[in-house]
Amino acid sequence: MSDAMQETGAVLEARKAYNETLRIKADQTRATWFPITIMILLIALPLLQFTGNYNYLLHMVLLTASYVALASSWNILGGFAGYISLGHNVFFCIGGYFAGMLVARYGWSGIALAPLAGLVAALFGYVIGLITLRVRGPSFIISSIALVMIARLLFDHWKFVGGANGVTLPPTELSVQWAKLPYYYAMLFIAAFTVWCSYKIKHSKFGLGLRALSKDEIKAEAAGIDTRFYKVTAFALSAFFVGMVGAVWGEYLTYIRPSIFLVILIAAYMVLMCILGGKGTIAGPVIGAILLTAFNEFFVATMGASELNILGTGVIMAVCLMFFPHGIVGSLARKGRLPRILNWD
Amino acid sequence: MEQIIQVAVLGIGLGGVFALMGAGLSLVFGVMRIVNLAHPSLIIGGAYLAYWGFRIYGIDPLIMLPVCALVLAATGVLFYKVFFERDAKSATYSEMTVLLTFAIAMIVEGALGAAFSNTQRVTSPSYATDAFFIGNVFIPKGQLYAGITSIVIIGLLAAFLKFSRLGYAIRATTQNREAAALLGVNVNMVGLMSFAIGIGLAGAAGALTSFVFSFFPAKHWEWVAVLMSLVVMGGMGSILGTVVAAFSLSIVAAFVGTWIGSTWSTMTFFLALFLVLLFRPQGLFGEKPELV
Amino acid sequence: MSDFLTIKGITAGYGDGPAILDDAKMTVQEGKVHCIIGPNGAGKSTMMKAIAGMLPLRKGEITFKGENIAGLRPDQMLRRGIAFVPQERALFPKMTVRENLRMGGYILNDDKALSSRIDEIFDRFPILRERADQHAGTMSGGQQQTLAMARTLILRPDVVMFDEPSLGLAPKIVREMFQIVRLIADTGVTVLLVEQNAVMGLRHADWGVVLDLGRTLFEGPSAEVLADPRIQELYLGGQKVA
Repeated sequence: MSDAMQETGAVLEARKAYNETLRIKADQTRATWFPITIMILLIALPLLQFTGNYNYLLHMVLLTASYVALASSWNILGGFAGYISLGHNVFFCIGGYFAGMLVARYGWSGIALAPLAGLVAALFGYVIGLITLRVRGPSFIISSIALVMIARLLFDHWKFVGGANGVTLPPTELSVQWAKLPYYYAMLFIAAFTVWCSYKIKHSKFGLGLRALSKDEIKAEAAGIDTRFYKVTAFALSAFFVGMVGAVWGEYLTYIRPSIFLVILIAAYMVLMCILGGKGTIAGPVIGAILLTAFNEFFVATMGASELNILGTGVIMAVCLMFFPHGIVGSLARKGRLPRILNWD
Repeated sequence: MEQIIQVAVLGIGLGGVFALMGAGLSLVFGVMRIVNLAHPSLIIGGAYLAYWGFRIYGIDPLIMLPVCALVLAATGVLFYKVFFERDAKSATYSEMTVLLTFAIAMIVEGALGAAFSNTQRVTSPSYATDAFFIGNVFIPKGQLYAGITSIVIIGLLAAFLKFSRLGYAIRATTQNREAAALLGVNVNMVGLMSFAIGIGLAGAAGALTSFVFSFFPAKHWEWVAVLMSLVVMGGMGSILGTVVAAFSLSIVAAFVGTWIGSTWSTMTFFLALFLVLLFRPQGLFGEKPELV
Repeated sequence: MSDFLTIKGITAGYGDGPAILDDAKMTVQEGKVHCIIGPNGAGKSTMMKAIAGMLPLRKGEITFKGENIAGLRPDQMLRRGIAFVPQERALFPKMTVRENLRMGGYILNDDKALSSRIDEIFDRFPILRERADQHAGTMSGGQQQTLAMARTLILRPDVVMFDEPSLGLAPKIVREMFQIVRLIADTGVTVLLVEQNAVMGLRHADWGVVLDLGRTLFEGPSAEVLADPRIQELYLGGQKVA
């Protein structure tokens, strides 16, 4: 009873604060034009190639886009439903390997295969979710780590997919100047699609159900939400987008091997980007992805060593968690200071 | 038959070390509800301490063990003060702390890597490569000593929890934090002490690890999932459960390693974890499922 | 009305939430059984938590033996002789009965005294001696409640507070619980209890306190409370009380 009262109090307070910010920002509605403008600029960006070699820039945008997609899809499960997965790179791997093997063996195109790779990843996500989503909180997190270890063991020793050495994919036949473009556009499209979908999900009845079960699963169940179906579906959806990114990423790198996909750092990045930007918001994972890419470039450029990179990532993550648990977008929104251009929710 | 005994003996030896690793983890979880993903990285820290003690001063790792335990216990106190001594009432406490420990694991790994490079190390006291024979059963001395030391430490831990005043307070806080506070237990102090003891156990395990396994800074990821599986299987927070799971699974893993192939022996732990999640989500010794 | 325990004008709530208790008070007489009744959400449990120091007071005064004790921590209350058993019984399910009793004397920090006090408890509650080495969580609800109440006596408190000791127990066991309450009061310990079953609670009490909407509506000798027609209608379910 006491908890319920406490919660009611908290809800009322939150509602009051929310109404207040609504009043203040009555004219500051969603700034949809901003992401659309950015998108148009990014689509036009490769025109620079006519003026010189901007491959590094394109690579950075492509990398950021893939992080945006990874973070936004992690956000569907971790941000909306509140299930923290430290093993989402397994679906990155499944997508990458599924497309990669078809590319290597049958010469298909990885980009065209991306949606299919996503579906395969989603199918795995659904089945795995049926097992691991039986538990919540710490046990779920642990099961997600175990998942990575299982996948790593399997892929490291699976002869058909080349074991630990992986498989080399045929390089693209385009000239150096244009070689990155198909992947650039594919990744950009996937990132935009993921963000758009996560927006749609958040504002659907499904998304509302997810947020309800993240607050209190038992009450959500009592309110008539089929929590099991909801969370397993969220898991599968989240795996779908991650799988698509994997498919394009593998072909872009021209090789697939377990050590690209199944390292704990990738899983850590997905979580970190969401925490950094603001878990459960739409713009948060995007901001987080941009910042993380920038941090990484900075660390690699200044310190080089991967140990320091790990150390730096850990420090940033710890500082964020301790002092800004709601992330940049979340914290600003709570204070009612979120710039209009970042209000995508 | 001899082979079966042989494999079981090896399994028991490793089981002791894993049990010691898991016991500290389980203790911290029980009292603080923190899943300490940094625990294995701190074990590696303890292993480095023992390694350098041996390399520079020629101190036997078994003698270094109390030193490792104390240094790591102090580290535990430091981490507790810096990272965890804050309001534990946040609704997302368990998620937030688990991510925080994940970050700490990266910090420890990065720091160890920067300091000692990623070379594989192993402490090599004379017994590490020596062995006894009972009939045809071969018992490596290193594993035997490590196993026995682990069992002794776990026995001491159990006696401490069962009989000492602080042990009472720790058990009480684990079972019902609010009630313990109501009876005058300083639960914050108990949290700090359990952290110190838990991480101290990681240090002790590290000293043993240093001559049983070869190690390097990133090695802890291999153990995270194994140790966490033990804790989930034992029933989050049940030290007895963790120890039972450690011994039984290590023996099974030893057989899997011998008969199916050594690469698959760790798979035993993960598969067991998933089976437990499927059929008994609360763990072997847990009472209610962790669905809060 | 002496300066034994005075509870006046207390206002309290959870976190930043609304005040659950709003200017509540009650009169406590040494050695008597006091029963707080009222509908769900009236603030009965909150009142006990506030007195026990589990909830910060926003306003109000609690004095005990002339000392202002408002705002003290639960363990400080305990040291001054005020013990509390919350609704959930607050046992340690995987500790034995004896270990639970030892926890009851945790702040004593004196093994010998503790052992002899536990023996006294065993003399008064033989069922606990029978179960001494059994895990508390494996006992029946009534036995668990007995243990929880007995555990407070280890520290020989002046005041004990029980939040709904009858919760979830069969009627026959409930009567036993009230007998225990009476037994405790007979040794000179002041008892405060919250009871959902108002008629039952008042019958076993000396003093009745009616709480609603966080305020004290009425208090008086329990016979008077039981006999009051307004209270009968509003809070006793219109039952005829002989």
